[in-house]
Amino acid sequence: MARHAVILAGGQCKWGVREAHLVDLFQEAAKACFDDIPTLKPKDVDGLIVASSYAGRCSFQVNTAPVIAERVGVKPTSICTRVDVLCAGGSTGIILAKGLVESGVADIVMVSGGEKLYTPQKWEVFYSELASVDHDWDGTNGMGLPPPFFSLTAQEHMMHYGSTKEQLAAVSVANYNYAATNPVAQMQKTLTLEEAMNAPSVVPPLTLYDCCPITDGAAVCIITTDEIAKKFSDRPLVYIRGTAQVCLNSVSANFPGAHLADWKHTKMAGEKAYKAAKVSPGDIKVAQTHDCFSISEVIEVEEFGFCKKGEGGEFCGSKQIELGGKVPVNTDGGLLACGHPFGATGIRQGIEMLKQLQGRARHQVNGADIGLTHNLSGANAEHTVLIYGREPVK
Amino acid sequence: MAVLGIPILENLYPSTMDMWPLEAKEFNRNWQFYENLKQGKLTTTKCKDCGLVSWPPRVICPECYSENLEYTDLPNKGKIIVFSEEVRGVPLGFESPLIHAVIDLGVAPARRVLSRIVNCPAGVLKRGDEVQLAVFPVPALPIDKGKLGTVMSERVFFAFEPVKK
Repeated sequence: MARHAVILAGGQCKWGVREAHLVDLFQEAAKACFDDIPTLKPKDVDGLIVASSYAGRCSFQVNTAPVIAERVGVKPTSICTRVDVLCAGGSTGIILAKGLVESGVADIVMVSGGEKLYTPQKWEVFYSELASVDHDWDGTNGMGLPPPFFSLTAQEHMMHYGSTKEQLAAVSVANYNYAATNPVAQMQKTLTLEEAMNAPSVVPPLTLYDCCPITDGAAVCIITTDEIAKKFSDRPLVYIRGTAQVCLNSVSANFPGAHLADWKHTKMAGEKAYKAAKVSPGDIKVAQTHDCFSISEVIEVEEFGFCKKGEGGEFCGSKQIELGGKVPVNTDGGLLACGHPFGATGIRQGIEMLKQLQGRARHQVNGADIGLTHNLSGANAEHTVLIYGREPVK
Repeated sequence: MAVLGIPILENLYPSTMDMWPLEAKEFNRNWQFYENLKQGKLTTTKCKDCGLVSWPPRVICPECYSENLEYTDLPNKGKIIVFSEEVRGVPLGFESPLIHAVIDLGVAPARRVLSRIVNCPAGVLKRGDEVQLAVFPVPALPIDKGKLGTVMSERVFFAFEPVKK
Protein backbone atom coordinates (compact mmCIF):
# COMPACT_ATOMS: atom_id res chain seq x y z
CA MET A 1 0.00 0.00 0.00
CA ALA A 2 1.29 3.46 -0.87
CA ARG A 3 2.64 5.51 2.01
CA HIS A 4 1.35 9.10 2.10
CA ALA A 5 3.19 11.79 4.08
CA VAL A 6 1.25 13.90 6.58
CA ILE A 7 2.15 16.69 8.99
CA LEU A 8 1.09 15.29 12.36
CA ALA A 9 1.83 18.07 14.84
CA GLY A 10 3.88 21.21 15.35
CA GLY A 11 4.87 24.00 17.67
CA GLN A 12 7.11 27.00 17.91
CA CYS A 13 8.72 29.00 20.69
CA LYS A 14 8.11 32.71 21.19
CA TRP A 15 9.76 34.54 18.31
CA GLY A 16 11.47 37.92 18.59
CA VAL A 17 14.55 39.26 20.33
CA ARG A 18 15.22 36.32 22.66
CA GLU A 19 17.45 36.15 25.72
CA ALA A 20 18.42 32.59 24.86
CA HIS A 21 20.97 30.40 23.06
CA LEU A 22 20.21 28.76 19.71
CA VAL A 23 19.86 25.31 21.29
CA ASP A 24 17.53 26.72 23.99
CA LEU A 25 15.16 27.86 21.24
CA PHE A 26 15.14 24.41 19.61
CA GLN A 27 14.29 22.82 22.98
CA GLU A 28 11.40 25.24 23.58
CA ALA A 29 10.01 24.56 20.10
CA ALA A 30 10.32 20.77 20.53
CA LYS A 31 8.36 21.03 23.78
CA ALA A 32 5.66 23.08 22.04
CA CYS A 33 5.48 20.42 19.33
CA PHE A 34 5.07 17.50 21.75
CA ASP A 35 2.53 19.57 23.72
CA ASP A 36 0.51 19.63 20.48
CA ILE A 37 0.43 15.80 20.44
CA PRO A 38 0.76 14.37 23.96
CA THR A 39 0.45 10.76 22.70
CA LEU A 40 3.73 11.07 20.77
CA LYS A 41 7.00 10.83 22.73
CA PRO A 42 10.57 11.74 21.72
CA LYS A 43 11.44 8.01 21.68
CA ASP A 44 8.92 7.50 18.86
CA VAL A 45 10.91 9.79 16.54
CA ASP A 46 13.37 7.94 14.28
CA GLY A 47 14.57 10.80 12.10
CA LEU A 48 15.71 14.40 12.61
CA ILE A 49 16.22 17.16 10.08
CA VAL A 50 17.53 20.49 11.38
CA ALA A 51 17.18 23.63 9.27
CA SER A 52 19.48 26.42 10.35
CA SER A 53 21.55 28.68 8.13
CA TYR A 54 23.20 31.02 10.61
CA ALA A 55 24.25 28.49 13.27
CA GLY A 56 27.74 28.57 11.77
CA ARG A 57 28.12 32.33 11.72
CA CYS A 58 26.09 33.53 14.70
CA SER A 59 26.43 30.59 17.13
CA PHE A 60 29.87 29.23 16.02
CA GLN A 61 28.23 25.82 15.56
CA VAL A 62 28.34 23.61 12.49
CA ASN A 63 27.21 19.95 12.36
CA THR A 64 24.15 21.16 14.21
CA ALA A 65 21.95 18.06 13.92
CA PRO A 66 23.65 15.87 16.58
CA VAL A 67 23.70 18.83 18.98
CA ILE A 68 19.96 19.41 18.55
CA ALA A 69 19.18 15.66 18.70
CA GLU A 70 20.87 15.41 22.08
CA ARG A 71 19.26 18.54 23.50
CA VAL A 72 15.71 17.65 22.44
CA GLY A 73 16.07 14.03 23.56
CA VAL A 74 15.58 12.22 20.26
CA LYS A 75 17.80 9.32 19.14
CA PRO A 76 17.55 9.19 15.34
CA THR A 77 18.19 5.89 13.56
CA SER A 78 17.06 6.68 10.00
CA ILE A 79 18.31 10.22 9.32
CA CYS A 80 20.02 12.93 11.36
CA THR A 81 21.14 15.90 9.28
CA ARG A 82 21.03 19.63 8.75
CA VAL A 83 19.80 21.56 5.70
CA ASP A 84 20.76 25.10 4.71
CA VAL A 85 18.61 26.83 2.12
CA LEU A 86 18.37 30.02 4.14
CA CYS A 87 14.71 31.15 4.18
CA ALA A 88 13.41 27.81 2.78
CA GLY A 89 15.28 25.52 5.17
CA GLY A 90 12.18 24.48 7.11
CA SER A 91 10.14 23.83 3.97
CA THR A 92 13.05 21.88 2.52
CA GLY A 93 13.16 19.75 5.66
CA ILE A 94 9.47 18.94 5.20
CA ILE A 95 10.02 18.05 1.52
CA LEU A 96 12.91 15.74 2.43
CA ALA A 97 10.96 14.17 5.30
CA LYS A 98 8.05 13.48 2.94
CA GLY A 99 10.38 11.61 0.60
CA LEU A 100 11.95 9.68 3.46
CA VAL A 101 8.69 8.54 5.05
CA GLU A 102 6.97 7.77 1.74
CA SER A 103 9.93 5.68 0.59
CA GLY A 104 10.07 3.80 3.88
CA VAL A 105 13.55 5.02 4.81
CA ALA A 106 12.05 6.71 7.88
CA ASP A 107 8.77 6.46 9.78
CA ILE A 108 8.51 9.50 12.06
CA VAL A 109 10.72 12.48 11.29
CA MET A 110 11.10 15.57 13.44
CA VAL A 111 11.69 18.59 11.20
CA SER A 112 13.10 21.45 13.24
CA GLY A 113 14.38 24.85 12.26
CA GLY A 114 15.77 27.83 14.08
CA GLU A 115 18.15 30.75 14.20
CA LYS A 116 19.70 32.89 16.92
CA LEU A 117 20.48 36.10 15.06
CA TYR A 118 20.77 38.76 17.76
CA THR A 119 24.42 38.58 18.88
CA PRO A 120 26.01 40.47 21.79
CA GLN A 121 27.23 43.15 19.37
CA LYS A 122 24.49 44.54 17.14
CA TRP A 123 26.70 44.99 14.06
CA GLU A 124 27.52 41.33 13.66
CA VAL A 125 24.27 39.93 12.26
CA PHE A 126 23.96 42.77 9.76
CA TYR A 127 27.55 42.20 8.64
CA SER A 128 27.09 38.43 8.54
CA GLU A 129 24.13 38.88 6.21
CA LEU A 130 26.72 39.44 3.48
CA ALA A 131 26.81 35.63 3.48
CA SER A 132 23.11 35.40 2.53
CA VAL A 133 23.83 36.40 -1.05
CA ASP A 134 26.68 35.42 -3.39
CA HIS A 135 29.53 36.71 -1.23
CA ASP A 136 31.98 37.76 -3.95
CA TRP A 137 29.54 39.23 -6.48
CA ASP A 138 26.56 40.62 -4.53
CA GLY A 139 27.82 40.89 -0.95
CA THR A 140 30.64 43.11 -2.21
CA ASN A 141 28.00 45.51 -3.53
CA GLY A 142 26.28 45.77 -0.16
CA MET A 143 23.42 43.47 -1.15
CA GLY A 144 23.61 41.40 2.04
CA LEU A 145 20.72 43.22 3.65
CA PRO A 146 17.79 42.81 1.29
CA PRO A 147 15.84 46.14 1.39
CA PRO A 148 17.73 47.67 -1.59
CA PHE A 149 17.05 44.61 -3.76
CA PHE A 150 13.34 44.65 -2.89
CA SER A 151 13.20 48.43 -3.38
CA LEU A 152 14.34 47.82 -6.97
CA THR A 153 11.75 45.04 -7.24
CA ALA A 154 8.95 47.27 -5.96
CA GLN A 155 9.95 50.09 -8.30
CA GLU A 156 9.93 47.79 -11.31
CA HIS A 157 6.51 46.44 -10.29
CA MET A 158 5.23 50.00 -10.05
CA MET A 159 6.86 50.88 -13.42
CA HIS A 160 5.50 47.89 -15.31
CA TYR A 161 2.15 47.25 -13.59
CA GLY A 162 1.19 50.50 -11.86
CA SER A 163 1.02 49.11 -8.33
CA THR A 164 1.00 51.71 -5.57
CA LYS A 165 2.52 52.32 -2.14
CA GLU A 166 -1.00 52.04 -0.65
CA GLN A 167 -1.31 48.54 -2.06
CA LEU A 168 2.01 47.54 -0.47
CA ALA A 169 0.84 49.02 2.83
CA ALA A 170 -2.37 46.97 2.60
CA VAL A 171 -0.26 43.79 2.79
CA SER A 172 1.49 45.00 5.96
CA VAL A 173 -1.83 46.00 7.53
CA ALA A 174 -3.43 42.61 6.77
CA ASN A 175 -0.48 40.60 8.08
CA TYR A 176 0.07 42.68 11.23
CA ASN A 177 -3.61 42.42 12.06
CA TYR A 178 -3.53 38.63 11.58
CA ALA A 179 -0.61 38.47 14.09
CA ALA A 180 -2.05 40.88 16.66
CA THR A 181 -3.43 38.00 18.77
CA ASN A 182 -0.71 35.44 17.90
CA PRO A 183 1.10 34.80 21.21
CA VAL A 184 4.31 33.57 19.55
CA ALA A 185 4.59 36.34 16.92
CA GLN A 186 7.36 38.93 17.15
CA MET A 187 4.97 41.83 16.39
CA GLN A 188 1.71 41.58 18.30
CA LYS A 189 -0.05 44.82 17.46
CA THR A 190 -2.67 46.05 15.07
CA LEU A 191 -1.63 48.35 12.25
CA THR A 192 -3.66 50.94 10.36
CA LEU A 193 -3.17 51.98 6.75
CA GLU A 194 -2.35 55.47 7.97
CA GLU A 195 0.39 54.18 10.31
CA ALA A 196 1.83 52.04 7.52
CA MET A 197 1.79 54.93 5.05
CA ASN A 198 3.48 57.33 7.50
CA ALA A 199 6.17 54.91 8.75
CA PRO A 200 9.88 55.81 8.66
CA SER A 201 11.67 55.25 5.36
CA VAL A 202 13.99 52.25 4.91
CA VAL A 203 14.92 52.30 1.22
CA PRO A 204 12.30 54.20 -0.80
CA PRO A 205 9.63 53.22 -1.63
CA LEU A 206 9.93 50.69 1.23
CA THR A 207 9.14 51.91 4.73
CA LEU A 208 9.32 50.20 8.12
CA TYR A 209 6.26 47.94 7.88
CA ASP A 210 7.11 46.82 4.34
CA CYS A 211 10.09 44.86 5.73
CA CYS A 212 10.13 41.79 7.96
CA PRO A 213 12.22 42.10 11.13
CA ILE A 214 15.31 40.14 12.19
CA THR A 215 14.15 37.35 14.49
CA ASP A 216 15.39 34.77 16.96
CA GLY A 217 13.19 31.70 17.01
CA ALA A 218 12.62 28.04 16.33
CA ALA A 219 9.80 25.78 15.15
CA VAL A 220 9.34 22.01 15.10
CA CYS A 221 6.91 19.73 13.29
CA ILE A 222 6.46 15.98 12.88
CA ILE A 223 6.21 14.36 9.45
CA THR A 224 5.04 10.75 9.21
CA THR A 225 2.69 8.57 7.14
CA ASP A 226 -1.10 8.61 7.32
CA GLU A 227 -1.25 5.06 8.72
CA ILE A 228 1.25 5.83 11.50
CA ALA A 229 -0.45 9.17 12.24
CA LYS A 230 -3.76 7.41 12.94
CA LYS A 231 -2.09 5.56 15.85
CA PHE A 232 -1.30 8.85 17.56
CA SER A 233 -4.10 11.26 16.67
CA ASP A 234 -7.84 11.41 15.95
CA ARG A 235 -7.52 14.79 14.26
CA PRO A 236 -8.14 15.09 10.52
CA LEU A 237 -5.07 14.09 8.52
CA VAL A 238 -3.20 16.86 6.69
CA TYR A 239 -1.34 15.50 3.67
CA ILE A 240 1.65 17.00 1.89
CA ARG A 241 0.25 16.55 -1.61
CA GLY A 242 2.92 18.05 -3.82
CA THR A 243 6.13 20.06 -3.66
CA ALA A 244 8.60 21.88 -5.89
CA GLN A 245 11.87 23.74 -5.45
CA VAL A 246 13.20 25.85 -8.30
CA CYS A 247 16.59 27.56 -8.61
CA LEU A 248 17.45 29.32 -11.87
CA ASN A 249 20.00 31.86 -10.65
CA SER A 250 22.16 32.88 -7.75
CA VAL A 251 23.87 36.15 -8.65
CA SER A 252 21.27 38.92 -8.81
CA ALA A 253 22.54 40.02 -12.22
CA ASN A 254 21.37 36.68 -13.68
CA PHE A 255 17.77 37.10 -12.51
CA PRO A 256 15.60 34.89 -14.74
CA GLY A 257 12.66 37.28 -15.31
CA ALA A 258 12.40 40.08 -17.88
CA HIS A 259 12.71 42.47 -14.91
CA LEU A 260 12.84 42.15 -11.11
CA ALA A 261 9.02 42.05 -10.78
CA ASP A 262 8.70 39.12 -13.22
CA TRP A 263 9.23 36.04 -11.02
CA LYS A 264 9.44 33.24 -13.58
CA HIS A 265 11.02 30.83 -11.07
CA THR A 266 8.17 31.40 -8.61
CA LYS A 267 5.60 30.68 -11.29
CA MET A 268 7.49 27.56 -12.35
CA ALA A 269 7.64 26.28 -8.75
CA GLY A 270 3.91 26.89 -8.30
CA GLU A 271 2.96 25.15 -11.53
CA LYS A 272 5.12 22.13 -10.74
CA ALA A 273 3.71 21.82 -7.21
CA TYR A 274 0.13 22.20 -8.50
CA LYS A 275 0.76 19.42 -11.02
CA ALA A 276 2.27 17.12 -8.41
CA ALA A 277 -0.64 17.82 -6.05
CA LYS A 278 -3.22 17.49 -8.87
CA VAL A 279 -4.81 20.83 -7.99
CA SER A 280 -5.12 24.20 -9.71
CA PRO A 281 -4.80 27.77 -8.35
CA GLY A 282 -8.58 27.95 -7.95
CA ASP A 283 -8.47 25.08 -5.43
CA ILE A 284 -6.25 26.99 -2.98
CA LYS A 285 -8.38 28.13 -0.02
CA VAL A 286 -5.56 29.54 2.12
CA ALA A 287 -1.89 30.37 1.51
CA GLN A 288 1.22 31.26 3.48
CA THR A 289 3.51 32.99 0.98
CA HIS A 290 6.94 34.47 1.63
CA ASP A 291 6.19 38.07 2.65
CA CYS A 292 9.78 39.03 3.49
CA PHE A 293 8.65 42.35 2.03
CA SER A 294 5.14 43.56 1.25
CA ILE A 295 6.02 43.67 -2.46
CA SER A 296 6.90 39.97 -2.33
CA GLU A 297 3.35 38.99 -1.38
CA VAL A 298 1.97 41.25 -4.14
CA ILE A 299 4.05 39.44 -6.76
CA GLU A 300 3.52 35.96 -5.27
CA VAL A 301 -0.30 36.11 -5.47
CA GLU A 302 0.20 36.85 -9.18
CA GLU A 303 2.74 34.14 -9.91
CA PHE A 304 0.68 31.50 -8.06
CA GLY A 305 -2.34 32.38 -10.18
CA PHE A 306 -4.61 33.82 -7.46
CA CYS A 307 -5.01 36.81 -9.80
CA LYS A 308 -3.64 37.84 -13.21
CA LYS A 309 0.02 38.86 -13.63
CA GLY A 310 0.31 42.54 -12.78
CA GLU A 311 -2.87 42.66 -10.69
CA GLY A 312 -1.31 41.64 -7.36
CA GLY A 313 -1.42 45.19 -6.05
CA GLU A 314 -5.13 45.48 -6.74
CA PHE A 315 -5.72 41.97 -5.32
CA CYS A 316 -3.96 42.77 -2.03
CA GLY A 317 -5.31 46.32 -1.86
CA SER A 318 -8.92 45.13 -2.18
CA LYS A 319 -8.79 42.79 0.84
CA GLN A 320 -8.66 39.58 -1.21
CA ILE A 321 -5.85 38.37 1.12
CA GLU A 322 -7.97 38.89 4.25
CA LEU A 323 -10.56 36.56 5.81
CA GLY A 324 -13.56 36.49 3.47
CA GLY A 325 -11.33 37.42 0.50
CA LYS A 326 -10.55 35.19 -2.47
CA VAL A 327 -7.42 33.61 -0.90
CA PRO A 328 -6.59 34.59 2.70
CA VAL A 329 -2.79 34.85 2.85
CA ASN A 330 -0.45 34.65 5.84
CA THR A 331 -3.28 34.06 8.29
CA ASP A 332 -0.92 33.80 11.29
CA GLY A 333 0.85 37.07 10.44
CA GLY A 334 3.45 35.95 7.93
CA LEU A 335 7.09 36.95 8.01
CA LEU A 336 6.20 40.63 8.30
CA ALA A 337 4.65 40.22 11.75
CA CYS A 338 5.61 36.75 13.04
CA GLY A 339 9.25 37.50 12.22
CA HIS A 340 11.65 35.44 10.14
CA PRO A 341 14.19 33.12 11.81
CA PHE A 342 15.16 31.75 8.39
CA GLY A 343 15.24 27.97 8.92
CA ALA A 344 12.11 28.04 11.09
CA THR A 345 9.81 29.95 8.75
CA GLY A 346 8.75 27.07 6.48
CA ILE A 347 7.85 25.03 9.56
CA ARG A 348 5.82 27.94 10.97
CA GLN A 349 3.94 28.00 7.68
CA GLY A 350 3.41 24.21 7.82
CA ILE A 351 2.04 24.47 11.37
CA GLU A 352 -0.41 27.20 10.36
CA MET A 353 -1.49 25.06 7.40
CA LEU A 354 -1.94 22.05 9.72
CA LYS A 355 -4.21 24.14 11.94
CA GLN A 356 -6.15 25.65 9.02
CA LEU A 357 -6.81 22.27 7.44
CA GLN A 358 -7.81 20.78 10.80
CA GLY A 359 -10.18 23.69 11.46
CA ARG A 360 -8.36 24.95 14.55
CA ALA A 361 -6.57 28.08 13.30
CA ARG A 362 -6.82 31.42 15.13
CA HIS A 363 -8.09 33.08 11.96
CA GLN A 364 -9.90 30.08 10.51
CA VAL A 365 -10.68 30.07 6.79
CA ASN A 366 -14.06 28.40 6.35
CA GLY A 367 -13.88 25.17 4.38
CA ALA A 368 -10.08 25.18 4.11
CA ASP A 369 -9.19 21.84 2.50
CA ILE A 370 -6.26 22.73 0.20
CA GLY A 371 -3.49 25.19 1.04
CA LEU A 372 -0.18 26.45 -0.32
CA THR A 373 3.02 27.48 1.44
CA HIS A 374 5.96 29.19 -0.22
CA ASN A 375 9.47 30.44 0.50
CA LEU A 376 11.91 32.61 -1.38
CA SER A 377 15.61 32.24 -0.55
CA GLY A 378 18.52 34.66 -0.87
CA ALA A 379 18.45 37.52 -3.39
CA ASN A 380 15.37 35.94 -4.97
CA ALA A 381 17.54 32.97 -5.92
CA GLU A 382 15.29 30.01 -5.13
CA HIS A 383 11.59 29.26 -4.70
CA THR A 384 10.03 26.45 -2.66
CA VAL A 385 6.33 25.51 -2.77
CA LEU A 386 4.32 22.92 -0.83
CA ILE A 387 0.66 22.04 -1.33
CA TYR A 388 -1.17 20.61 1.68
CA GLY A 389 -4.57 18.92 1.57
CA ARG A 390 -7.16 17.01 3.57
CA GLU A 391 -6.93 14.10 1.12
CA PRO A 392 -3.93 12.29 -0.38
CA VAL A 393 -3.17 12.56 -4.10
CA LYS A 394 -4.87 9.66 -5.85
CA MET B 1 45.19 45.35 16.88
CA ALA B 2 43.13 43.47 19.41
CA VAL B 3 39.73 41.96 18.71
CA LEU B 4 37.36 43.04 21.48
CA GLY B 5 36.58 40.11 23.77
CA ILE B 6 38.90 37.68 21.93
CA PRO B 7 42.48 38.58 22.88
CA ILE B 8 43.90 35.48 21.16
CA LEU B 9 42.94 37.03 17.79
CA GLU B 10 45.37 39.93 18.26
CA ASN B 11 46.98 40.68 14.88
CA LEU B 12 45.32 37.65 13.27
CA TYR B 13 43.29 37.89 10.07
CA PRO B 14 39.98 35.92 10.03
CA SER B 15 39.00 35.44 6.37
CA THR B 16 35.56 34.33 7.57
CA MET B 17 34.90 37.97 8.50
CA ASP B 18 36.31 39.47 5.27
CA MET B 19 33.66 41.17 3.14
CA TRP B 20 35.93 41.28 0.07
CA PRO B 21 36.78 38.32 -2.20
CA LEU B 22 39.92 36.27 -1.66
CA GLU B 23 41.26 37.53 -4.97
CA ALA B 24 44.83 36.19 -4.83
CA LYS B 25 45.98 33.42 -7.19
CA GLU B 26 46.60 31.16 -4.18
CA PHE B 27 42.89 31.22 -3.29
CA ASN B 28 40.98 31.98 -6.48
CA ARG B 29 41.17 30.47 -9.98
CA ASN B 30 39.40 33.59 -11.30
CA TRP B 31 42.24 35.82 -10.06
CA GLN B 32 42.69 37.15 -13.61
CA PHE B 33 39.37 38.99 -13.35
CA TYR B 34 40.79 41.12 -10.54
CA GLU B 35 44.12 41.62 -12.34
CA ASN B 36 42.14 42.89 -15.34
CA LEU B 37 40.21 45.23 -13.02
CA LYS B 38 43.52 46.67 -11.83
CA GLN B 39 44.15 47.58 -15.51
CA GLY B 40 40.77 49.35 -15.61
CA LYS B 41 39.07 46.58 -17.57
CA LEU B 42 35.78 44.86 -16.72
CA THR B 43 36.03 41.33 -18.08
CA THR B 44 34.41 37.95 -17.85
CA THR B 45 34.98 34.46 -19.20
CA LYS B 46 34.03 33.19 -22.67
CA CYS B 47 34.00 29.53 -23.68
CA LYS B 48 36.37 28.92 -26.61
CA ASP B 49 34.45 25.75 -27.54
CA CYS B 50 30.77 26.76 -27.53
CA GLY B 51 31.16 30.55 -27.43
CA LEU B 52 29.04 31.19 -24.33
CA VAL B 53 29.93 34.33 -22.41
CA SER B 54 29.16 33.88 -18.68
CA TRP B 55 28.67 36.36 -15.88
CA PRO B 56 30.28 36.20 -13.39
CA PRO B 57 33.51 34.55 -14.63
CA ARG B 58 34.01 30.86 -13.93
CA VAL B 59 36.45 27.98 -14.40
CA ILE B 60 34.16 25.69 -16.43
CA CYS B 61 31.58 26.57 -19.07
CA PRO B 62 28.14 25.97 -17.48
CA GLU B 63 26.73 25.10 -20.94
CA CYS B 64 29.22 22.57 -22.40
CA TYR B 65 31.47 21.97 -19.38
CA SER B 66 34.58 22.88 -21.33
CA GLU B 67 37.55 24.14 -19.32
CA ASN B 68 38.82 25.96 -22.41
CA LEU B 69 37.86 29.51 -21.37
CA GLU B 70 39.33 32.94 -22.11
CA TYR B 71 38.75 36.40 -20.68
CA THR B 72 36.76 38.81 -22.81
CA ASP B 73 36.09 42.54 -22.29
CA LEU B 74 32.70 43.82 -21.19
CA PRO B 75 31.70 47.45 -21.93
CA ASN B 76 32.88 49.97 -19.34
CA LYS B 77 29.81 52.15 -19.79
CA GLY B 78 26.11 51.51 -19.42
CA LYS B 79 22.72 53.03 -18.65
CA ILE B 80 20.73 52.91 -15.43
CA ILE B 81 17.46 50.99 -15.74
CA VAL B 82 16.34 51.42 -12.12
CA PHE B 83 18.13 52.39 -8.90
CA SER B 84 17.63 52.56 -5.14
CA GLU B 85 19.10 54.92 -2.58
CA GLU B 86 19.70 54.01 1.06
CA VAL B 87 20.60 57.05 3.12
CA ARG B 88 20.07 55.92 6.74
CA GLY B 89 20.89 52.50 8.17
CA VAL B 90 23.65 51.77 5.65
CA PRO B 91 25.36 48.49 6.68
CA LEU B 92 28.90 48.29 8.05
CA GLY B 93 31.46 48.44 5.25
CA PHE B 94 29.54 50.91 3.08
CA GLU B 95 29.03 54.67 3.15
CA SER B 96 25.84 56.68 2.85
CA PRO B 97 24.28 57.02 0.38
CA LEU B 98 24.41 53.35 -0.58
CA ILE B 99 23.10 53.38 -4.14
CA HIS B 100 22.25 50.22 -6.09
CA ALA B 101 21.33 50.08 -9.75
CA VAL B 102 20.34 47.67 -12.46
CA ILE B 103 22.66 48.68 -15.29
CA ASP B 104 22.36 47.85 -18.99
CA LEU B 105 25.88 47.38 -20.37
CA GLY B 106 24.39 46.78 -23.80
CA VAL B 107 25.55 43.19 -24.41
CA ALA B 108 24.56 39.75 -23.11
CA PRO B 109 25.00 38.56 -20.40
CA ALA B 110 25.31 42.11 -19.02
CA ARG B 111 21.97 43.64 -20.02
CA ARG B 112 20.85 43.85 -16.38
CA VAL B 113 23.92 43.88 -14.14
CA LEU B 114 23.12 44.71 -10.53
CA SER B 115 25.88 46.88 -9.11
CA ARG B 116 26.61 49.85 -6.90
CA ILE B 117 26.89 53.51 -7.84
CA VAL B 118 29.74 55.43 -6.16
CA ASN B 119 31.01 59.01 -6.31
CA CYS B 120 27.42 60.23 -6.44
CA PRO B 121 25.37 62.13 -3.82
CA ALA B 122 21.80 61.13 -2.99
CA GLY B 123 18.97 62.67 -4.97
CA VAL B 124 20.70 63.47 -8.26
CA LEU B 125 20.56 60.19 -10.22
CA LYS B 126 17.85 59.57 -12.84
CA ARG B 127 16.72 56.49 -14.72
CA GLY B 128 18.50 56.40 -18.07
CA ASP B 129 21.62 58.16 -16.79
CA GLU B 130 24.92 56.98 -18.25
CA VAL B 131 27.41 55.40 -15.82
CA GLN B 132 30.98 54.14 -16.17
CA LEU B 133 33.18 51.59 -14.45
CA ALA B 134 34.84 52.77 -11.22
CA VAL B 135 37.69 50.65 -9.82
CA PHE B 136 38.83 51.28 -6.25
CA PRO B 137 41.30 49.71 -3.82
CA VAL B 138 40.08 47.53 -0.97
CA PRO B 139 42.21 46.27 1.96
CA ALA B 140 45.07 43.96 0.96
CA LEU B 141 44.77 40.25 1.72
CA PRO B 142 47.28 39.03 4.34
CA ILE B 143 48.52 35.58 3.24
CA ASP B 144 50.54 33.45 5.67
CA LYS B 145 53.61 32.26 3.70
CA GLY B 146 55.21 30.26 6.50
CA LYS B 147 58.90 31.08 6.90
CA LEU B 148 58.51 34.03 4.52
CA GLY B 149 56.05 35.62 6.92
CA THR B 150 52.82 37.34 5.92
CA VAL B 151 52.64 38.73 2.39
CA MET B 152 50.10 41.47 1.64
CA SER B 153 48.28 40.82 -1.65
CA GLU B 154 46.81 44.00 -3.14
CA ARG B 155 43.09 43.97 -3.93
CA VAL B 156 40.63 46.12 -5.89
CA PHE B 157 36.90 45.98 -6.49
CA PHE B 158 34.52 47.77 -8.81
CA ALA B 159 31.30 49.71 -8.99
CA PHE B 160 29.95 52.32 -11.41
CA GLU B 161 29.88 56.12 -11.24
CA PRO B 162 27.98 58.80 -13.14
CA VAL B 163 29.58 59.92 -16.42
CA LYS B 164 30.38 63.61 -15.97
CA LYS B 165 28.45 65.69 -18.46
